[in-house]
Amino acid sequence: MAKILIPTPLRQFTGGADTVTASGATVGELMGALLAAHPDLKKNLYNDEGKLRSFVNIYVNDEDIRYLSKEESAVADSDTVSIIPSIAGGR
Amino acid sequence: MIEISPEAWDLMVDHAQKSYPNECCGILIGDEQAGLRRATLAVACRNAYEGEQKDRFLIDPRDQISAERQSRELGLGVLGFFHSHPDEGAYFSQTDLKNHWPFYSNVVMSVRGGIFADAKCFRVDVDQTASEEEDLSWPKS
Repeated sequence: MAKILIPTPLRQFTGGADTVTASGATVGELMGALLAAHPDLKKNLYNDEGKLRSFVNIYVNDEDIRYLSKEESAVADSDTVSIIPSIAGGR
Repeated sequence: MIEISPEAWDLMVDHAQKSYPNECCGILIGDEQAGLRRATLAVACRNAYEGEQKDRFLIDPRDQISAERQSRELGLGVLGFFHSHPDEGAYFSQTDLKNHWPFYSNVVMSVRGGIFADAKCFRVDVDQTASEEEDLSWPKS
């Protein structure tokens, strides 16, 4: 089971847990397992078309899945997957 | 309300002034008890925005991963973020509103002529359609 690190704003949808474990061979499978266990996360992470929202970054260990194989990126049980809010702005 | 520790504040001001005339950005780490957020640690981040950084910033996600690890090791959490507005006021812009998440405390620092001038803190509503000012306390304020 891989570890998924939950950012503070989303912990209200995981019963307060800051880390959730889930099974899956790819990021997509892992996220599917996460959403099955915590369905309220879905609207915060995915848009109406079922695509990952643009302001949500997912990393496997230190690698951005956009530069791997996106949601097809492989995940091992020893991996840590981080959900990272994209924070930007300016004047 | 969010209270910034002297150590965190020194780092924030230093980062904002050294980044001038570009925008700086960083992460606030600490804890929350009875509605009072105490940022005991600030982390200076790289501005990863690809373009003119005088009026834009993007926190490097790799810095966020590192800060998240650090906060967990310390038994603390990421409370929010900070960034600067060079030669502009400490307000929360529409660009800021569209690119920040709810929950977090977002400190905006005004830097004029390379010197810190003012700071305010804002939180975004769940729909990212409005921001509300949050009381901000920093050393000597």
